[in-house]
Amino acid sequence: MTNEATSTVVTEVACPLCGHACDDLSVDTAGSGLTVVANGCDRARDGFARLGGVPTNASARIDGKPASLEEACAEAARILAGAQQPVFGGMALDLNGARGAMELVDLAGGIVEHINNEFGWRASRAVQDGGGINTTLAEVKNRADLIVLLGTDAVSRQPRFFERVVWVKESMFDFDTTSRHIVYMGAGLNTAPGVSPDGRQPDVFEFDKKRMPEALSVLNALLAKQPVAGEAPLGIALARWQALADALLAAKYSVLVWTASAFDTPQVDMNVGAIAAIARKLNVTTRCNALPLAGNDGDSTMGAVHLWQTGFPMRTSYASGTPKFDPLQNGLSRLVANGETDALVWLSSLNDTVAPPSTGLPTVVIAPPTQKLDAEPHVFIPVATPGMHLTGHFVRTDKVVSLPLRALKKSSLPAAEQVTAAIVAKMKEVGA
Amino acid sequence: MSLIKLTGGRVIDPANGVNDQVRDIYVRDGRIVAGPNEHEKITAEYNIAGRIVMSGAIDMHSHIGGGKVNIAREMLPEDHRGDPLERTELTRSSCGHAAPGTLAAGYRYAEMGYTAAFEPAILPINARQAHMEMGDTPILDTGGYAMLGSDDFFLRMMAAKEDQKAINDYVAWTLNATQTVGIKIVNPGGISAFKFNQRKLDLDEQNAYYGITPREIVKVLSRAVHDLGVPKPLHVHASNLGVPGNVDTTLGTMDAAEGLPIHLTHIQFHSYGTEGDRKFSSAAARIAEAINQKKNVTADVGQILFGQTVTASGDNMVQYRNADHGSPKKSVIMDIECDAGCGVVPFKYKDQNFVNALQWAIGLEIFLMVDDPWRVFLTTDHPNGAPFTTYPHLIKLLMDRSFRNAMLDTINPDARAMSNLAGLDREYSLYEIAIMTRAAPAKLIGLADRGHLAPGAAADIVVYKEDADRERMFEKPELVFKDGELVVRDGRIVKVVRGNTHAVKPEFDRSIEKKIEPYFQRYHSVRMNNFKISDDELCECGGGSKLIAHACKKRG
Repeated sequence: MTNEATSTVVTEVACPLCGHACDDLSVDTAGSGLTVVANGCDRARDGFARLGGVPTNASARIDGKPASLEEACAEAARILAGAQQPVFGGMALDLNGARGAMELVDLAGGIVEHINNEFGWRASRAVQDGGGINTTLAEVKNRADLIVLLGTDAVSRQPRFFERVVWVKESMFDFDTTSRHIVYMGAGLNTAPGVSPDGRQPDVFEFDKKRMPEALSVLNALLAKQPVAGEAPLGIALARWQALADALLAAKYSVLVWTASAFDTPQVDMNVGAIAAIARKLNVTTRCNALPLAGNDGDSTMGAVHLWQTGFPMRTSYASGTPKFDPLQNGLSRLVANGETDALVWLSSLNDTVAPPSTGLPTVVIAPPTQKLDAEPHVFIPVATPGMHLTGHFVRTDKVVSLPLRALKKSSLPAAEQVTAAIVAKMKEVGA
Repeated sequence: MSLIKLTGGRVIDPANGVNDQVRDIYVRDGRIVAGPNEHEKITAEYNIAGRIVMSGAIDMHSHIGGGKVNIAREMLPEDHRGDPLERTELTRSSCGHAAPGTLAAGYRYAEMGYTAAFEPAILPINARQAHMEMGDTPILDTGGYAMLGSDDFFLRMMAAKEDQKAINDYVAWTLNATQTVGIKIVNPGGISAFKFNQRKLDLDEQNAYYGITPREIVKVLSRAVHDLGVPKPLHVHASNLGVPGNVDTTLGTMDAAEGLPIHLTHIQFHSYGTEGDRKFSSAAARIAEAINQKKNVTADVGQILFGQTVTASGDNMVQYRNADHGSPKKSVIMDIECDAGCGVVPFKYKDQNFVNALQWAIGLEIFLMVDDPWRVFLTTDHPNGAPFTTYPHLIKLLMDRSFRNAMLDTINPDARAMSNLAGLDREYSLYEIAIMTRAAPAKLIGLADRGHLAPGAAADIVVYKEDADRERMFEKPELVFKDGELVVRDGRIVKVVRGNTHAVKPEFDRSIEKKIEPYFQRYHSVRMNNFKISDDELCECGGGSKLIAHACKKRG
């Protein structure tokens, strides 16, 4: 959709560079890269500029030497055919990238681990253990009167959160959005975006994030009218905790914002469970919902596709021919450290900044030409990026809304799913 | 060009009045044809003498795709571990039971002779994902019903007393934008009311903010669907699901349509009285009598069957209330995008539990007391009453009175005493089963070329070996053809094909977008143009599924 036939600026572009997936960007396609000219953030501007370029000299490589796409796919197929349990990392993909990956993973008998799944699987375990009461962005935008950010400032991972969801001009339900009560919990947070447009400061409960379980326990106890020891839990006066509990009880629609990556990793599932417990207590008399922030690097997309196709979350091994879900055993780092995997495939079309780990294993990297690499892999296949060079689909933070991604600039590079399809075809040809 | 001949089968094709007649069926390029052209050679012949032939079965209400189904999958690894699906040369690995992977769902539906399934609760804002999931459901034709009635745009229109024409334009716009084949209401206005902290909403009770009642919503939306000429009647999950005494609400909901077509879904969950010591009783007789009398009413049953399953519903108000009954005890409840909501609660129906046992009996009573198989549909509200893989068992319960009574003897005795099931002698015939699983759903949804076997129909064909054990017969057809391709032989997948996506395209005044676009900009989190799903994008979401667009003849 261009403003006019001659314009090089495309409007209402959805951005795949964080889980918020803002879809109001204007992107100029003139020149060698893609330039965000309206409604972006630094992350979007950098990402479109870097990933949106069209390199003329990007070629596949085998052991560092230029190779044709076909040769590189054949070599990848050879590596995978010889592997007992390859692990697939990166996985920052859009819908069709994830679909293509799943077909290859199943055939190769592999395991999928998205770069964010080291903590993400623990959030999933909290859902499996107890569930939760959740809401989505448009509900927060129109209804939230009290927003508590737990361990996260939101903007570090999703920069336009306050601009697009909190300090909006109006709500559907006739209340003054500037009156929203903002509370932060944790230390080292960027609390400036929480200052209301009329200059009201947010409440900040400052403590080491490793003490989040204690903080959530204090709130759960106060809401359950149970005694809390000490005058100042976590060094904060008990009266302030009580005031927050009272505010939650008095709010019509409070929202508890969290993101798994902001918690101390071993505590993720415990914290998410404690947040769900707070929401359950409050919903006895009023409405309160959690708002998990996820979706960065396409983790919601990859997670959703994995789940709907096979019925299991990531960290499922396909090595035996039937899915075996075991989140404790099937993490990438553990598999590598214990010698339980014999090949690494790094698939990533949306994130080029995280380098594949150095494992000493035969490694295939299928990623943008700008992919950061600490070592030359055995096979490197450059691919185009959905939302820049290719149409695509991206599941947003709340796992409810998905956005169409646009092809803004032509690239001669293949899509990740074309590469995985070629490897699948080669493996079947060799296997036949 | 290929010409397939199915020779000598006993054809049951109720849409064309054919009841167990020996006929040959010819298929050319995916379509049923009258016979070979001059000099045309038959490329493949199947001798099916003595076999029963029906069109592919159509599940008109099955939760197969969309966010709440994926939440259910995430919640239940313990259930999935018990039912893994092995990778073969033809099929991918996946898992089954209560909330199966899409791959397993497609394979298993096809293995049972189903060639189409319709997702009945597509949140408009989640439509893209629902189509993605259905696109990854192999072999089956799919489609869905878009949920309206608790979305704020609609409720604002109602509160502003906008006229029926404006409502019709919005409904038609939604059907086009979401690429769906019908409109569903879930707990009319109740999902919105829950967001305003209302915990129940009776048929004539007002939404606290909008002042609109469920009755008004049903009336206006049944009118809209009718006026637009959408074949599928308004699909209604009525208020007060699961509440003892909800029969009056259900009967009132039928009346709210004021004589226009209305479909009451999973009506078993809405057919409860308050008689007896436990204030919970069957109201199936009143419901069945109402359906028999009111020719504008259709219903699917939502039969429960005993065992572990998961309930996944748009009705977050009711699911929140029921969360404590979950087994295993966990639940996910969501408010969604000023559009709708959802609630997922695992559930285990127990035959010795009084309420569950009576629910089982109530569903069967409705099946057996509704006279017209064209107006009652075979569903378990998969997975809410039971997984769809229980259909062959359910068919046996309907067709085999002695089997049914033997089962009845094993359930909770107090529930048995409260049910008149033992006195119901009816046994469904194969012809009636073919009506309720093929001809009637195709007619209801408006699928002109499905659900029958006359020349011109799509060659979705199932061949069964007759077996007095109807469960065994229906769980493993000998042959299944999808659009003319043999996909199942002896109950096993022999070829994986991609099904089609069905949608309706009612006409509307495009100027409605002048209201919708600014609404999205002011209040929503996405732009209107990114909300709408174009035909090209639909096919991409569907992984390449072909769009079959059905025209609507305006009545308004």
